[in-house]
Amino acid sequence: MKHISWLGVGFLTPALLIVGFLFFAPVVMTAVFSFTNMSTATGISGGDYLLSPNNLDEMQAHGVSQKTLDALADTTYQVDDHGLLLLAQEFGTEIANELKERHNNDIFKNRGELERALKDMKHRIRSPRDRKKAADLFGTSILNQRFTSKVDFITAVIQTGAVQADIPAVTSVAYTGWQWTTNNFKRLFSLPATWRYALNTLAYVTLTLVFNIGFGLFLAISTFYMPEGFANTFRTIWFLPRILPPVLYVLMWKWFTWDTGFLSTILAPLGIPAQNWMMQTSTHAWVTIILINGSVGASLGMILFSSAIRSIPASMLHASEVDGASRFQQIRHIILPQLRWPILFLTSYETLSLLASFEHILLTTDGGPGKSTEVWALAAFHTALRNYSGNLQYGYGAAFALILVAIGIAASLVYMRLFNFRDLVSKPRIER
Amino acid sequence: MKIELRNFTKRFDGQAVVDNVSLTIESGEMIALLGPSGCGKSTSLFSICGIHRMDEGQLLFGDKDVTNLPSQKRNVGVVFQNYALYPHMSIFENIAFPLVVQKADRATIRRKVADIAELVQISDLLERKPANISGGQQQRTALARALIRRPDVLLLDEPLANLDAKLRLEMRSEIRRIQSETGITAILVTHDQVEAMSICDRIALMQKGKVVQLDKPREMYANPANMFVAEFLGNPPIRFMPAELHENQMIAGGAALPRPQHLKQSNLPDKINLGIRPEHFGPQFGNEISGHILAIETQGRENLYDVALSDGGVLCSIQPANDHLNPGDTIQWGIASQHLLAFDGQGERI
Ligand SMILES: Nc1ncnc2c1ncn2[C@@H]1O[C@H](COP(=O)(O)OP(=O)(O)OP(=O)(O)O)[C@@H](O)[C@H]1O
Ligand SMILES: [Mg+2]
Repeated sequence: MKHISWLGVGFLTPALLIVGFLFFAPVVMTAVFSFTNMSTATGISGGDYLLSPNNLDEMQAHGVSQKTLDALADTTYQVDDHGLLLLAQEFGTEIANELKERHNNDIFKNRGELERALKDMKHRIRSPRDRKKAADLFGTSILNQRFTSKVDFITAVIQTGAVQADIPAVTSVAYTGWQWTTNNFKRLFSLPATWRYALNTLAYVTLTLVFNIGFGLFLAISTFYMPEGFANTFRTIWFLPRILPPVLYVLMWKWFTWDTGFLSTILAPLGIPAQNWMMQTSTHAWVTIILINGSVGASLGMILFSSAIRSIPASMLHASEVDGASRFQQIRHIILPQLRWPILFLTSYETLSLLASFEHILLTTDGGPGKSTEVWALAAFHTALRNYSGNLQYGYGAAFALILVAIGIAASLVYMRLFNFRDLVSKPRIER
Repeated sequence: MKIELRNFTKRFDGQAVVDNVSLTIESGEMIALLGPSGCGKSTSLFSICGIHRMDEGQLLFGDKDVTNLPSQKRNVGVVFQNYALYPHMSIFENIAFPLVVQKADRATIRRKVADIAELVQISDLLERKPANISGGQQQRTALARALIRRPDVLLLDEPLANLDAKLRLEMRSEIRRIQSETGITAILVTHDQVEAMSICDRIALMQKGKVVQLDKPREMYANPANMFVAEFLGNPPIRFMPAELHENQMIAGGAALPRPQHLKQSNLPDKINLGIRPEHFGPQFGNEISGHILAIETQGRENLYDVALSDGGVLCSIQPANDHLNPGDTIQWGIASQHLLAFDGQGERI
């Protein structure tokens, strides 16, 4: 028994690796990213500590005390080796040595104090202007100073006289690398655009799905009643959208709807002005998107439903005919009930894939006009990987994606429940 | 309602599967379409109910020509070989279906289903799905569904083929009971001659797309039109042996027998085939024929003996059970010569 189960594990390993790499790893990484503020600006590796004058306002918003802000904004004067070296170069080594002797490492709250100290020395600098210049050599401000280590930065902050309690906030503002944060989600739920995307997605998924299933059923049932050869040709034509590369397929649609394209051309003689039938208004865009995606899905539905219909025993259809059922009644009472499982299956499968799919929208309207066809997955893509401001917000985009993953997993669980997944794989779902 | 088939031909891919068949079934009669597998029974049935189109010929229900009517308009009830119940509907819904598509009102439907369910004795199963009832119950359901519209014609395509032996016997008489109670004209397709003989008024025996004989069961058994019919009816089957006719006697089975009364005409060929049924060969008919016992098959009440004759032919005999004889024993038995069936070289009855 034991070695058999090991054999099983052995056989499963490639599948597990693939599931691990292609599903779990991306999901985990998305989850991780979504709790950071990673963007083009922060980079995805570590960063430095740097306070710029702009940061002061930001810190105020974070509740840093005025005292700290003043302290940070202040320039202090410390007698250090760097300053002494400059002093020696400009005003001679004697004065530098003397200053070192008397005030090495002393900190002066302002320039005046240091100037006074310089004045009090044996090798004093006479001109006040020169003293001022010399004192400036020792001026240090924490602003615009880059620290590569956190300890150095904090030491420097303490030296400015900042309030101890404010240090974490100051440090976090000063950090130029990425940070852990839950702000992505707060932002997500507070922006009205988010709800817009959610509603767009809902509309996109529902309408496309209804079109898919409805049109798929229509094609399957109508071809079922057609003569064999004709039906096959018909099915093949409708299957084209599925096997065409998306870019080519979309290109055909674009050509079809361009203001100098097919539609405009054939409508021109009817007095309808040439226009962009895809992007004219958001209604145009929506209709186009649903037709484009719907046709792709409908062909799958057609194939699935056709084969399901053909597996209905002929005698059952014959029976319904001699029982007096018209063709319409036959469809309604015999064929459709038998298609219950394929319909349910396609509904769930398509919901999941439509939720995550955006390639056709990207290639056609790209979310436009305005943001009227921006769906959730496309918003995630735009935020994280392509936008016009140039600052790609990986973390924020990942937050979008993570919510999609959560919805997808929840929906999958519901569907598995609905299908009674174990039954589904253990016995054929065409009743006979 | 009387059913009349005139010169009916049905072809598949240019090949005649049913060839110029004419058949009249009287009102209230139950007729069996009997024949070996592939002889065209189902095809005939499907043409009568309108599933197949007839390539040639005419079909009349009463005085009405229904040849070109679609099956929906023919008012026939059909019980299919595999019952063809609708798996997604309950038994009630299955039986009610013909009324539902007629848009009958619900009270009527409920009453009629209750009545018919009582007739076929499945009243307590109406809530179940077809998958959850037995084969016999499915068969009754199919019968109820076929009958609920009070069809002019009831067609049954091997309705008992899927049942076990005991249930088959039960359902056989059940079908006959229901058919006579409702007085409906019925066609029963079967390849089981016992079934056909036991419950039908007449049998139409088919061979390769043609009806070779149409007769009452008893009559067909006693007077088969040819060797095919003689062999098809009767179990254990009839045995044949060649015979030579002489002036006053007949050489058959290695013995010289007196020429039977009904074969006295002078215009008969010299060489004929004799058909001898098992019940017409045995010790009670004399001792002219000698042979030895090849095998004995006990059927409880009766024994079957296979007997090898001295000229190499084999006859079968059926006799009340006893254990006097063993395989290998030699016997001297006779033939009931008045029941001998004679056929010419083509197998046609003389
Ligand atoms: N749809 C069809 N297409 C082509 N040939 C067919 C078709 N249906 C039946 N046949 C052929 O017609 C012949 C008669 O078929 P049919 O079903 O009537 O036989 P049957 O007498 O009912 O036999 P069984 O007792 O096995 O049911 C067979 O040789 C069969 O192969
Ligand atoms: Mg058949």
